[in-house]
Amino acid sequence: WRRVYFAVIFYLGVLIVLFYLFMKAFSS
Amino acid sequence: MRALDWLVLAGSLVFIIAYGLYRSRGSNTVNRYLLAGKTMPWYAMALSIMATQASAITFISTTGQSYVDGMRFVQFYFGLPLAMVILSATAVPIFHRANVYTAYEYLEQRFDAKTRALGSLIFLLQRGFSVGLSLYAPAIVLAVIFGWPDQWTTVIMGTLVITYTVIGGIQAVTWTDVQQMLVIFLGLIVSMIMVVLLLPADVSLLDAMHLAGAAGRLNVVSTSFDWNDRYTLWSGLIGGMFLALSYFGCDQSQVQRYLTGRSIAQSKLSLLFNAMAKVPMQFFILFVGAMVFVFYIFEKPPLLFAPAALSRIEADGPRHRPVETRYSAAFENRRQAASDWIDAHRRDSPDGQARSLARFRQAQQELDAARADGARLVQESGGEQGFNDTNYIFLSFVTRYLPAGFVGLIIAVIFAAAMSTISAEINSLATVSIIDVYRRHVRKDASDRHYLWASRLATVFWGLYAMSFAGYGRKLGSLIEAVNMLGSLFYGTLLGVFVLAFFMRRVGGNGAFVGMLAGEAAILAAFLFTGISFLWYNVIGCVVVVAVGLAVAFFSDGAKRRPAASQ
Repeated sequence: WRRVYFAVIFYLGVLIVLFYLFMKAFSS
Repeated sequence: MRALDWLVLAGSLVFIIAYGLYRSRGSNTVNRYLLAGKTMPWYAMALSIMATQASAITFISTTGQSYVDGMRFVQFYFGLPLAMVILSATAVPIFHRANVYTAYEYLEQRFDAKTRALGSLIFLLQRGFSVGLSLYAPAIVLAVIFGWPDQWTTVIMGTLVITYTVIGGIQAVTWTDVQQMLVIFLGLIVSMIMVVLLLPADVSLLDAMHLAGAAGRLNVVSTSFDWNDRYTLWSGLIGGMFLALSYFGCDQSQVQRYLTGRSIAQSKLSLLFNAMAKVPMQFFILFVGAMVFVFYIFEKPPLLFAPAALSRIEADGPRHRPVETRYSAAFENRRQAASDWIDAHRRDSPDGQARSLARFRQAQQELDAARADGARLVQESGGEQGFNDTNYIFLSFVTRYLPAGFVGLIIAVIFAAAMSTISAEINSLATVSIIDVYRRHVRKDASDRHYLWASRLATVFWGLYAMSFAGYGRKLGSLIEAVNMLGSLFYGTLLGVFVLAFFMRRVGGNGAFVGMLAGEAAILAAFLFTGISFLWYNVIGCVVVVAVGLAVAFFSDGAKRRPAASQ
Protein backbone atom coordinates (compact mmCIF):
# COMPACT_ATOMS: atom_id res chain seq x y z
CA TRP A 1 0.00 0.00 0.00
CA ARG A 2 3.09 2.21 0.09
CA ARG A 3 2.20 4.14 -3.08
CA VAL A 4 -1.36 4.74 -1.88
CA TYR A 5 -0.11 6.15 1.43
CA PHE A 6 2.37 8.48 -0.27
CA ALA A 7 -0.32 9.57 -2.74
CA VAL A 8 -2.61 10.54 0.17
CA ILE A 9 0.17 12.57 1.84
CA PHE A 10 1.04 14.25 -1.48
CA TYR A 11 -2.67 15.04 -1.97
CA LEU A 12 -2.78 16.71 1.47
CA GLY A 13 0.24 18.84 0.54
CA VAL A 14 -1.41 19.89 -2.73
CA LEU A 15 -4.63 20.79 -0.86
CA ILE A 16 -2.76 22.99 1.63
CA VAL A 17 -0.91 24.80 -1.19
CA LEU A 18 -4.19 25.30 -3.08
CA PHE A 19 -5.87 26.67 0.07
CA TYR A 20 -2.94 29.08 0.57
CA LEU A 21 -3.17 30.30 -3.05
CA PHE A 22 -6.97 30.62 -2.70
CA MET A 23 -6.50 32.77 0.41
CA LYS A 24 -3.89 34.98 -1.28
CA ALA A 25 -6.06 35.42 -4.39
CA PHE A 26 -9.02 36.78 -2.44
CA SER A 27 -7.47 38.61 0.52
CA SER A 28 -7.18 41.80 -1.54
CA MET B 1 -41.70 25.06 9.07
CA ARG B 2 -44.42 24.71 6.44
CA ALA B 3 -46.37 21.57 5.46
CA LEU B 4 -43.88 20.69 2.71
CA ASP B 5 -40.99 21.05 5.18
CA TRP B 6 -42.63 18.62 7.62
CA LEU B 7 -43.23 16.20 4.74
CA VAL B 8 -39.56 16.32 3.66
CA LEU B 9 -38.32 15.94 7.27
CA ALA B 10 -40.65 13.04 8.15
CA GLY B 11 -40.18 11.35 4.77
CA SER B 12 -36.39 11.39 4.94
CA LEU B 13 -36.31 10.13 8.56
CA VAL B 14 -38.76 7.28 7.87
CA PHE B 15 -36.90 6.23 4.71
CA ILE B 16 -33.49 6.29 6.42
CA ILE B 17 -34.62 4.19 9.40
CA ALA B 18 -36.67 1.73 7.31
CA TYR B 19 -33.72 1.16 4.96
CA GLY B 20 -31.35 0.65 7.89
CA LEU B 21 -33.64 -1.94 9.49
CA TYR B 22 -34.19 -3.69 6.14
CA ARG B 23 -30.42 -4.03 5.62
CA SER B 24 -29.86 -5.35 9.17
CA ARG B 25 -32.01 -8.49 8.91
CA GLY B 26 -30.28 -11.53 10.38
CA SER B 27 -28.37 -9.74 13.17
CA ASN B 28 -29.05 -12.75 15.40
CA THR B 29 -25.60 -13.60 16.77
CA VAL B 30 -23.22 -11.48 18.84
CA ASN B 31 -20.75 -11.40 15.95
CA ARG B 32 -23.38 -10.18 13.48
CA TYR B 33 -24.95 -7.80 16.00
CA LEU B 34 -21.69 -6.11 17.04
CA LEU B 35 -19.41 -6.68 14.02
CA ALA B 36 -21.90 -7.26 11.15
CA GLY B 37 -20.29 -10.69 10.72
CA LYS B 38 -17.33 -8.80 9.18
CA THR B 39 -19.18 -8.36 5.90
CA MET B 40 -19.17 -4.59 5.37
CA PRO B 41 -17.91 -3.06 2.11
CA TRP B 42 -15.49 -0.12 2.23
CA TYR B 43 -17.96 2.56 1.06
CA ALA B 44 -20.48 1.75 3.83
CA MET B 45 -17.76 1.91 6.49
CA ALA B 46 -16.30 5.09 4.96
CA LEU B 47 -19.61 6.97 5.05
CA SER B 48 -20.39 5.57 8.51
CA ILE B 49 -17.04 6.83 9.83
CA MET B 50 -17.75 10.24 8.31
CA ALA B 51 -21.33 10.38 9.64
CA THR B 52 -20.24 9.35 13.14
CA GLN B 53 -17.71 12.18 13.26
CA ALA B 54 -20.12 14.80 11.84
CA SER B 55 -22.44 15.58 14.74
CA ALA B 56 -25.30 18.06 14.47
CA ILE B 57 -23.44 20.70 16.41
CA THR B 58 -20.42 20.34 14.09
CA PHE B 59 -22.66 21.12 11.15
CA ILE B 60 -24.52 24.02 12.82
CA SER B 61 -21.46 25.54 14.51
CA THR B 62 -19.03 25.25 11.62
CA THR B 63 -21.08 27.44 9.29
CA GLY B 64 -21.62 29.98 12.08
CA GLN B 65 -17.95 29.93 13.00
CA SER B 66 -17.00 30.78 9.42
CA TYR B 67 -19.47 33.71 9.50
CA VAL B 68 -17.86 35.09 12.67
CA ASP B 69 -14.23 34.01 12.43
CA GLY B 70 -13.56 32.94 8.85
CA MET B 71 -12.45 29.60 7.43
CA ARG B 72 -9.28 28.99 9.47
CA PHE B 73 -11.03 26.20 11.41
CA VAL B 74 -10.36 23.94 8.38
CA GLN B 75 -6.73 23.67 9.60
CA PHE B 76 -8.03 21.58 12.51
CA TYR B 77 -8.51 18.74 9.96
CA PHE B 78 -5.09 18.91 8.25
CA GLY B 79 -3.69 16.17 10.50
CA LEU B 80 -6.55 13.78 9.73
CA PRO B 81 -5.20 12.37 6.42
CA LEU B 82 -1.81 11.72 8.07
CA ALA B 83 -3.54 9.89 10.94
CA MET B 84 -5.58 7.80 8.49
CA VAL B 85 -2.42 6.67 6.69
CA ILE B 86 -0.76 5.70 10.00
CA LEU B 87 -3.86 3.82 11.20
CA SER B 88 -4.25 2.01 7.86
CA ALA B 89 -0.67 0.78 8.17
CA THR B 90 -0.89 -0.18 11.87
CA ALA B 91 -4.22 -0.37 13.72
CA VAL B 92 -6.33 -1.87 10.92
CA PRO B 93 -4.19 -4.99 10.26
CA ILE B 94 -3.37 -5.47 13.96
CA PHE B 95 -7.00 -5.27 15.17
CA HIS B 96 -8.26 -7.43 12.30
CA ARG B 97 -5.70 -10.18 12.90
CA ALA B 98 -6.25 -10.07 16.67
CA ASN B 99 -9.90 -10.87 15.85
CA VAL B 100 -11.28 -8.59 18.57
CA TYR B 101 -14.66 -6.95 19.19
CA THR B 102 -13.14 -3.90 20.88
CA ALA B 103 -9.83 -2.06 20.77
CA TYR B 104 -9.42 -2.62 24.52
CA GLU B 105 -9.74 -6.40 24.14
CA TYR B 106 -6.47 -6.20 22.19
CA LEU B 107 -4.82 -4.49 25.20
CA GLU B 108 -5.29 -7.71 27.21
CA GLN B 109 -3.85 -9.82 24.39
CA ARG B 110 -0.83 -7.52 24.26
CA PHE B 111 -0.48 -6.51 27.94
CA ASP B 112 -2.73 -7.78 30.73
CA ALA B 113 -6.25 -7.65 32.18
CA LYS B 114 -5.71 -4.50 34.27
CA THR B 115 -4.53 -2.47 31.25
CA ARG B 116 -7.61 -3.62 29.31
CA ALA B 117 -9.84 -2.72 32.26
CA LEU B 118 -8.31 0.77 32.57
CA GLY B 119 -8.56 1.36 28.79
CA SER B 120 -12.23 0.34 28.64
CA LEU B 121 -13.03 2.34 31.81
CA ILE B 122 -11.48 5.47 30.25
CA PHE B 123 -13.58 4.95 27.10
CA LEU B 124 -16.81 4.43 29.08
CA LEU B 125 -16.14 7.61 31.08
CA GLN B 126 -15.16 9.69 28.06
CA ARG B 127 -18.01 8.58 25.76
CA GLY B 128 -20.49 8.46 28.63
CA PHE B 129 -19.75 12.13 29.32
CA SER B 130 -20.28 13.21 25.72
CA VAL B 131 -23.20 11.07 24.53
CA GLY B 132 -25.78 13.28 26.27
CA LEU B 133 -24.40 16.42 24.66
CA SER B 134 -24.75 14.93 21.15
CA LEU B 135 -28.49 14.75 21.82
CA TYR B 136 -28.87 17.89 23.92
CA ALA B 137 -27.03 20.41 21.73
CA PRO B 138 -29.17 20.14 18.56
CA ALA B 139 -32.36 20.04 20.69
CA ILE B 140 -31.40 23.38 22.26
CA VAL B 141 -30.61 25.01 18.91
CA LEU B 142 -33.94 23.84 17.44
CA ALA B 143 -35.70 25.11 20.58
CA VAL B 144 -34.16 28.57 20.15
CA ILE B 145 -34.91 28.84 16.42
CA PHE B 146 -38.34 27.14 16.21
CA GLY B 147 -39.53 27.28 19.80
CA TRP B 148 -39.84 23.48 19.85
CA PRO B 149 -39.66 22.16 23.46
CA ASP B 150 -36.17 20.66 23.74
CA GLN B 151 -37.49 17.74 25.85
CA TRP B 152 -39.70 16.67 22.94
CA THR B 153 -36.90 16.89 20.38
CA THR B 154 -34.67 14.88 22.72
CA VAL B 155 -37.32 12.19 23.27
CA ILE B 156 -38.20 11.86 19.55
CA MET B 157 -34.57 11.76 18.38
CA GLY B 158 -33.53 9.43 21.22
CA THR B 159 -36.43 7.01 20.71
CA LEU B 160 -35.77 6.73 16.96
CA VAL B 161 -32.07 6.06 17.53
CA ILE B 162 -32.65 3.48 20.29
CA THR B 163 -35.25 1.67 18.17
CA TYR B 164 -33.10 1.01 15.12
CA THR B 165 -29.86 0.51 17.07
CA VAL B 166 -31.40 -2.07 19.43
CA ILE B 167 -33.19 -3.98 16.66
CA GLY B 168 -30.52 -3.99 13.98
CA GLY B 169 -27.22 -3.59 15.83
CA ILE B 170 -24.23 -2.29 13.93
CA GLN B 171 -25.64 -3.19 10.51
CA ALA B 172 -28.60 -0.87 11.12
CA VAL B 173 -26.25 1.80 12.47
CA THR B 174 -23.93 1.57 9.46
CA TRP B 175 -26.60 1.51 6.74
CA THR B 176 -28.57 4.37 8.33
CA ASP B 177 -25.26 6.26 8.58
CA VAL B 178 -24.80 5.81 4.82
CA GLN B 179 -28.24 7.29 4.10
CA GLN B 180 -27.75 10.03 6.69
CA MET B 181 -24.44 11.03 5.12
CA LEU B 182 -26.07 11.21 1.69
CA VAL B 183 -28.78 13.51 3.14
CA ILE B 184 -26.01 15.67 4.67
CA PHE B 185 -24.21 15.91 1.30
CA LEU B 186 -27.48 16.84 -0.44
CA GLY B 187 -28.28 19.46 2.21
CA LEU B 188 -24.82 21.00 1.88
CA ILE B 189 -25.02 21.26 -1.91
CA VAL B 190 -28.54 22.74 -1.75
CA SER B 191 -27.40 25.27 0.91
CA MET B 192 -24.49 26.35 -1.27
CA ILE B 193 -26.62 26.76 -4.39
CA MET B 194 -29.34 28.65 -2.51
CA VAL B 195 -27.00 31.10 -0.79
CA VAL B 196 -25.33 31.98 -4.11
CA LEU B 197 -28.72 32.36 -5.85
CA LEU B 198 -29.92 34.65 -3.04
CA LEU B 199 -27.03 37.11 -3.55
CA PRO B 200 -28.09 40.37 -5.29
CA ALA B 201 -28.27 40.05 -9.09
CA ASP B 202 -25.30 42.37 -9.64
CA VAL B 203 -22.99 40.46 -7.24
CA SER B 204 -21.18 37.55 -8.90
CA LEU B 205 -19.69 34.60 -7.00
CA LEU B 206 -16.23 36.05 -7.70
CA ASP B 207 -17.30 39.43 -6.25
CA ALA B 208 -18.68 37.62 -3.21
CA MET B 209 -15.38 35.81 -2.67
CA HIS B 210 -13.44 39.09 -2.91
CA LEU B 211 -15.74 40.68 -0.31
CA ALA B 212 -15.42 37.67 2.02
CA GLY B 213 -11.64 37.83 1.57
CA ALA B 214 -11.57 41.56 2.33
CA ALA B 215 -13.37 40.88 5.62
CA GLY B 216 -10.83 38.17 6.52
CA ARG B 217 -13.36 35.36 6.13
CA LEU B 218 -11.24 33.39 3.63
CA ASN B 219 -8.06 33.24 5.74
CA VAL B 220 -7.68 29.49 5.40
CA VAL B 221 -4.02 28.97 6.34
CA SER B 222 -2.10 30.57 9.21
CA THR B 223 1.63 29.80 9.49
CA SER B 224 1.91 31.48 12.92
CA PHE B 225 3.84 29.56 15.61
CA ASP B 226 1.68 30.84 18.50
CA TRP B 227 1.09 27.94 20.95
CA ASN B 228 -2.04 29.61 22.29
CA ASP B 229 -3.56 30.15 18.83
CA ARG B 230 -6.01 27.28 18.47
CA TYR B 231 -6.02 27.01 14.68
CA THR B 232 -2.71 27.24 12.82
CA LEU B 233 -1.12 25.07 10.15
CA TRP B 234 1.15 23.52 12.81
CA SER B 235 -1.48 22.88 15.48
CA GLY B 236 -3.60 21.33 12.72
CA LEU B 237 -0.88 19.10 11.26
CA ILE B 238 0.62 17.96 14.59
CA GLY B 239 -2.11 18.46 17.21
CA GLY B 240 -4.84 17.56 14.71
CA MET B 241 -2.97 14.40 13.70
CA PHE B 242 -2.65 13.27 17.33
CA LEU B 243 -6.32 14.03 17.98
CA ALA B 244 -7.36 12.09 14.86
CA LEU B 245 -5.07 9.18 15.83
CA SER B 246 -6.72 9.09 19.26
CA TYR B 247 -10.26 9.40 17.94
CA PHE B 248 -10.06 7.00 14.99
CA GLY B 249 -7.53 4.59 16.50
CA CYS B 250 -8.50 4.31 20.18
CA ASP B 251 -12.18 5.32 20.43
CA GLN B 252 -14.45 2.29 20.09
CA SER B 253 -17.20 4.42 18.50
CA GLN B 254 -14.89 4.75 15.46
CA VAL B 255 -12.81 1.55 15.73
CA GLN B 256 -16.00 -0.54 15.62
CA ARG B 257 -16.85 0.97 12.19
CA TYR B 258 -13.77 -0.50 10.51
CA LEU B 259 -13.74 -3.74 12.52
CA THR B 260 -16.85 -4.71 10.50
CA GLY B 261 -14.89 -4.75 7.21
CA ARG B 262 -15.01 -7.88 5.07
CA SER B 263 -11.21 -7.69 4.70
CA ILE B 264 -8.22 -5.66 5.86
CA ALA B 265 -8.07 -3.99 2.44
CA GLN B 266 -11.73 -2.89 2.64
CA SER B 267 -11.18 -1.41 6.12
CA LYS B 268 -8.05 0.44 4.94
CA LEU B 269 -9.97 1.85 1.98
CA SER B 270 -12.69 3.17 4.30
CA LEU B 271 -10.13 5.17 6.30
CA LEU B 272 -8.26 6.38 3.21
CA PHE B 273 -11.53 7.59 1.65
CA ASN B 274 -11.97 9.78 4.74
CA ALA B 275 -8.37 10.95 4.36
CA MET B 276 -9.27 12.22 0.88
CA ALA B 277 -12.81 13.52 1.49
CA LYS B 278 -12.87 15.03 4.99
CA VAL B 279 -10.77 18.18 4.44
CA PRO B 280 -12.62 19.23 1.23
CA MET B 281 -15.96 18.57 2.96
CA GLN B 282 -15.06 20.80 5.91
CA PHE B 283 -13.77 23.44 3.49
CA PHE B 284 -17.12 23.32 1.70
CA ILE B 285 -19.14 23.69 4.94
CA LEU B 286 -16.99 26.65 6.00
CA PHE B 287 -17.31 28.19 2.53
CA VAL B 288 -21.11 28.05 2.87
CA GLY B 289 -20.71 30.04 6.12
CA ALA B 290 -18.50 32.60 4.37
CA MET B 291 -21.11 33.03 1.62
CA VAL B 292 -23.85 33.50 4.25
CA PHE B 293 -21.63 36.31 5.59
CA VAL B 294 -21.57 37.94 2.12
CA PHE B 295 -25.35 37.49 1.77
CA TYR B 296 -25.78 39.49 4.99
CA ILE B 297 -23.65 42.33 3.60
CA PHE B 298 -26.60 43.21 1.34
CA GLU B 299 -29.48 41.97 3.54
CA LYS B 300 -29.57 43.37 7.05
CA PRO B 301 -29.00 40.66 9.67
CA PRO B 302 -30.47 40.93 13.18
CA LEU B 303 -28.15 42.42 15.81
CA LEU B 304 -28.17 38.96 17.48
CA PHE B 305 -29.21 35.69 15.84
CA ALA B 306 -30.81 34.18 18.96
CA PRO B 307 -34.43 35.47 18.99
CA ALA B 308 -34.99 35.19 22.77
CA ALA B 309 -31.74 37.02 23.58
CA LEU B 310 -32.60 39.78 21.09
CA SER B 311 -36.08 40.22 22.63
CA ARG B 312 -34.48 40.41 26.07
CA ILE B 313 -32.23 43.37 25.18
CA GLU B 314 -34.92 45.08 23.05
CA ALA B 315 -37.04 45.23 26.22
CA ASP B 316 -34.28 47.38 27.73
CA GLY B 317 -34.96 50.30 25.32
CA PRO B 318 -32.62 53.04 26.62
CA ARG B 319 -29.56 50.78 26.53
CA HIS B 320 -30.49 48.83 23.41
CA ARG B 321 -31.42 51.76 21.15
CA PRO B 322 -27.95 53.39 20.83
CA VAL B 323 -26.38 49.99 20.07
CA GLU B 324 -29.02 49.25 17.42
CA THR B 325 -28.52 52.73 15.88
CA ARG B 326 -24.74 52.24 15.64
CA TYR B 327 -25.31 48.75 14.23
CA SER B 328 -27.70 50.02 11.53
CA ALA B 329 -25.33 52.83 10.54
CA ALA B 330 -22.37 50.42 10.33
CA PHE B 331 -24.45 48.01 8.22
CA GLU B 332 -25.40 50.79 5.76
CA ASN B 333 -21.79 52.01 5.53
CA ARG B 334 -20.56 48.47 4.90
CA ARG B 335 -23.22 47.79 2.25
CA GLN B 336 -22.41 51.04 0.44
CA ALA B 337 -18.65 50.39 0.60
CA ALA B 338 -19.19 46.86 -0.78
CA SER B 339 -21.27 48.21 -3.70
CA ASP B 340 -18.62 50.88 -4.39
CA TRP B 341 -15.89 48.23 -4.34
CA ILE B 342 -17.78 46.11 -6.90
CA ASP B 343 -18.21 49.19 -9.15
CA ALA B 344 -14.51 50.07 -8.85
CA HIS B 345 -13.56 46.44 -9.54
CA ARG B 346 -15.68 46.44 -12.72
CA ARG B 347 -14.17 49.77 -13.84
CA ASP B 348 -10.73 48.33 -13.07
CA SER B 349 -9.93 51.30 -10.83
CA PRO B 350 -7.27 50.30 -8.26
CA ASP B 351 -7.60 53.61 -6.36
CA GLY B 352 -11.37 53.27 -6.10
CA GLN B 353 -11.02 49.66 -4.93
CA ALA B 354 -8.48 50.60 -2.24
CA ARG B 355 -10.63 53.48 -0.93
CA SER B 356 -13.85 51.46 -0.79
CA LEU B 357 -12.00 48.50 0.76
CA ALA B 358 -10.68 50.70 3.59
CA ARG B 359 -14.24 51.97 4.25
CA PHE B 360 -15.57 48.40 4.09
CA ARG B 361 -13.09 47.16 6.71
CA GLN B 362 -13.75 50.15 8.97
CA ALA B 363 -17.52 49.53 8.79
CA GLN B 364 -16.96 45.80 9.48
CA GLN B 365 -15.06 46.68 12.67
CA GLU B 366 -17.88 48.99 13.80
CA LEU B 367 -20.43 46.26 13.05
CA ASP B 368 -18.46 43.67 15.05
CA ALA B 369 -18.14 46.13 17.95
CA ALA B 370 -21.92 46.76 17.97
CA ARG B 371 -22.59 42.99 17.98
CA ALA B 372 -20.15 42.55 20.87
CA ASP B 373 -22.00 45.32 22.77
CA GLY B 374 -25.28 43.51 22.08
CA ALA B 375 -23.85 40.26 23.49
CA ARG B 376 -22.62 42.20 26.56
CA LEU B 377 -26.12 43.62 27.08
CA VAL B 378 -27.53 40.07 27.08
CA GLN B 379 -25.20 39.12 29.92
CA GLU B 380 -25.85 42.34 31.86
CA SER B 381 -29.62 41.87 31.59
CA GLY B 382 -29.37 38.52 33.38
CA GLY B 383 -29.07 36.36 30.24
CA GLU B 384 -26.61 33.57 29.53
CA GLN B 385 -23.07 34.36 30.73
CA GLY B 386 -20.55 34.09 27.90
CA PHE B 387 -23.45 34.52 25.44
CA ASN B 388 -22.53 33.51 21.90
CA ASP B 389 -24.93 33.27 18.95
CA THR B 390 -22.61 31.38 16.55
CA ASN B 391 -24.78 28.24 16.67
CA TYR B 392 -27.90 30.11 15.53
CA ILE B 393 -26.53 31.99 12.49
CA PHE B 394 -26.94 29.31 9.82
CA LEU B 395 -30.35 28.04 10.97
CA SER B 396 -31.58 31.63 11.30
CA PHE B 397 -30.59 32.20 7.65
CA VAL B 398 -32.20 28.92 6.55
CA THR B 399 -35.56 29.60 8.23
CA ARG B 400 -35.81 33.21 7.02
CA TYR B 401 -34.72 32.91 3.41
CA LEU B 402 -34.97 29.34 2.10
CA PRO B 403 -38.16 28.31 0.27
CA ALA B 404 -40.61 25.64 1.50
CA GLY B 405 -39.22 22.11 1.40
CA PHE B 406 -35.61 23.25 1.69
CA VAL B 407 -36.01 24.16 5.37
CA GLY B 408 -37.30 20.62 6.00
CA LEU B 409 -34.26 19.22 4.19
CA ILE B 410 -31.82 21.23 6.33
CA ILE B 411 -33.60 20.16 9.54
CA ALA B 412 -33.40 16.56 8.25
CA VAL B 413 -29.64 17.15 7.90
CA ILE B 414 -29.48 18.28 11.55
CA PHE B 415 -31.43 15.21 12.68
CA ALA B 416 -29.33 12.89 10.46
CA ALA B 417 -26.05 14.30 11.77
CA ALA B 418 -27.19 14.00 15.40
CA MET B 419 -28.66 10.50 15.07
CA SER B 420 -25.67 9.05 13.20
CA THR B 421 -23.34 10.17 15.99
CA ILE B 422 -25.59 9.06 18.87
CA SER B 423 -26.30 5.62 17.35
CA ALA B 424 -22.56 4.90 17.00
CA GLU B 425 -21.95 6.10 20.55
CA ILE B 426 -24.61 3.98 22.25
CA ASN B 427 -23.73 0.97 20.05
CA SER B 428 -20.04 1.19 21.01
CA LEU B 429 -20.78 1.89 24.70
CA ALA B 430 -22.96 -1.25 24.76
CA THR B 431 -20.23 -3.28 23.02
CA VAL B 432 -17.55 -2.28 25.54
CA SER B 433 -19.97 -2.78 28.47
CA ILE B 434 -20.73 -6.36 27.38
CA ILE B 435 -17.44 -7.53 25.84
CA ASP B 436 -14.92 -5.82 28.15
CA VAL B 437 -16.90 -5.73 31.40
CA TYR B 438 -19.83 -8.19 31.53
CA ARG B 439 -18.39 -11.10 29.52
CA ARG B 440 -14.87 -10.59 30.94
CA HIS B 441 -15.62 -10.03 34.63
CA VAL B 442 -19.27 -10.88 35.43
CA ARG B 443 -20.55 -13.83 33.36
CA LYS B 444 -17.73 -15.55 31.51
CA ASP B 445 -19.34 -18.62 29.95
CA ALA B 446 -22.92 -17.89 28.93
CA SER B 447 -24.41 -18.72 25.53
CA ASP B 448 -24.10 -16.53 22.44
CA ARG B 449 -27.84 -15.85 22.65
CA HIS B 450 -27.41 -14.62 26.24
CA TYR B 451 -24.73 -12.10 25.19
CA LEU B 452 -26.83 -11.01 22.19
CA TRP B 453 -29.73 -10.06 24.48
CA ALA B 454 -27.33 -8.54 27.01
CA SER B 455 -25.97 -6.35 24.16
CA ARG B 456 -29.52 -5.25 23.27
CA LEU B 457 -30.30 -4.40 26.90
CA ALA B 458 -27.01 -2.50 27.22
CA THR B 459 -27.93 -0.49 24.09
CA VAL B 460 -31.31 0.40 25.64
CA PHE B 461 -29.55 1.39 28.88
CA TRP B 462 -27.05 3.71 27.17
CA GLY B 463 -29.78 5.21 24.97
CA LEU B 464 -31.97 6.00 27.99
CA TYR B 465 -28.89 7.30 29.82
CA ALA B 466 -28.18 9.70 26.92
CA MET B 467 -31.80 10.89 26.90
CA SER B 468 -31.79 11.43 30.68
CA PHE B 469 -28.50 13.31 30.52
CA ALA B 470 -29.84 15.48 27.69
CA GLY B 471 -33.12 15.98 29.57
CA TYR B 472 -31.23 17.44 32.50
CA GLY B 473 -29.06 19.48 30.14
CA ARG B 474 -30.99 22.69 30.64
CA LYS B 475 -30.65 22.39 34.43
CA LEU B 476 -26.95 21.65 34.10
CA GLY B 477 -26.53 24.74 31.86
CA SER B 478 -22.98 25.30 30.65
CA LEU B 479 -21.86 22.49 32.97
CA ILE B 480 -22.87 19.94 30.33
CA GLU B 481 -20.35 21.44 27.90
CA ALA B 482 -17.71 21.46 30.63
CA VAL B 483 -18.38 17.75 31.18
CA ASN B 484 -17.91 17.15 27.44
CA MET B 485 -14.63 19.08 27.61
CA LEU B 486 -13.51 16.84 30.50
CA GLY B 487 -14.24 13.82 28.32
CA SER B 488 -11.69 15.01 25.77
CA LEU B 489 -8.95 15.01 28.43
CA PHE B 490 -8.62 11.22 28.23
CA TYR B 491 -7.69 10.84 24.58
CA GLY B 492 -3.92 11.31 24.86
CA THR B 493 -3.63 8.53 27.45
CA LEU B 494 -5.44 6.00 25.26
CA LEU B 495 -3.31 6.95 22.27
CA GLY B 496 -0.14 6.51 24.34
CA VAL B 497 -1.03 2.98 25.45
CA PHE B 498 -1.79 1.90 21.88
CA VAL B 499 1.53 3.37 20.69
CA LEU B 500 3.21 1.23 23.38
CA ALA B 501 1.20 -1.81 22.28
CA PHE B 502 1.97 -1.45 18.57
CA PHE B 503 5.58 -0.27 18.59
CA MET B 504 7.33 -0.86 21.95
CA ARG B 505 7.94 -4.59 22.16
CA ARG B 506 9.82 -4.50 25.46
CA VAL B 507 7.07 -2.70 27.42
CA GLY B 508 4.80 -5.02 29.41
CA GLY B 509 1.56 -4.64 31.35
CA ASN B 510 3.06 -2.82 34.34
CA GLY B 511 4.79 -0.23 32.13
CA ALA B 512 1.59 0.35 30.14
CA PHE B 513 -0.56 0.71 33.26
CA VAL B 514 1.79 3.08 35.12
CA GLY B 515 2.37 5.01 31.88
CA MET B 516 -1.38 5.55 31.47
CA LEU B 517 -1.74 6.91 35.01
CA ALA B 518 1.26 9.24 34.51
CA GLY B 519 -0.05 10.41 31.11
CA GLU B 520 -3.44 11.26 32.57
CA ALA B 521 -1.78 13.22 35.39
CA ALA B 522 0.28 15.18 32.84
CA ILE B 523 -2.82 16.08 30.78
CA LEU B 524 -4.73 17.22 33.88
CA ALA B 525 -1.72 19.35 34.93
CA ALA B 526 -1.58 20.97 31.46
CA PHE B 527 -5.35 21.61 31.63
CA LEU B 528 -5.32 23.09 35.14
CA PHE B 529 -2.06 25.05 35.17
CA THR B 530 -1.28 26.18 31.60
CA GLY B 531 -3.01 28.06 28.79
CA ILE B 532 -1.88 25.58 26.13
CA SER B 533 -4.53 24.95 23.45
CA PHE B 534 -6.44 21.68 23.99
CA LEU B 535 -5.17 20.30 20.68
CA TRP B 536 -1.76 19.81 22.31
CA TYR B 537 -3.08 17.80 25.29
CA ASN B 538 -3.09 14.59 23.24
CA VAL B 539 0.53 15.11 22.22
CA ILE B 540 1.55 15.68 25.87
CA GLY B 541 -0.43 12.70 27.18
CA CYS B 542 0.84 10.34 24.49
CA VAL B 543 4.50 11.33 24.93
CA VAL B 544 4.32 10.94 28.74
CA VAL B 545 2.64 7.50 28.52
CA VAL B 546 5.32 6.26 26.10
CA ALA B 547 8.22 7.76 28.10
CA VAL B 548 7.02 6.42 31.46
CA GLY B 549 6.10 3.04 29.94
CA LEU B 550 9.62 2.69 28.51
CA ALA B 551 11.19 3.83 31.80
CA VAL B 552 9.22 1.26 33.83
CA ALA B 553 10.15 -1.48 31.34
CA PHE B 554 13.81 -0.44 31.53
CA PHE B 555 13.97 -0.45 35.34
CA SER B 556 11.66 -3.40 35.99
CA ASP B 557 13.08 -6.87 35.43
CA GLY B 558 9.68 -8.39 35.96
CA ALA B 559 8.08 -6.66 32.98
CA LYS B 560 6.05 -9.07 30.92
CA ARG B 561 7.64 -9.23 27.49
CA ARG B 562 5.26 -10.28 24.81
CA PRO B 563 5.99 -9.45 21.19
CA ALA B 564 3.93 -6.66 19.64
CA ALA B 565 1.61 -7.93 16.94
CA SER B 566 3.33 -7.87 13.58
CA GLN B 567 1.61 -6.31 10.64
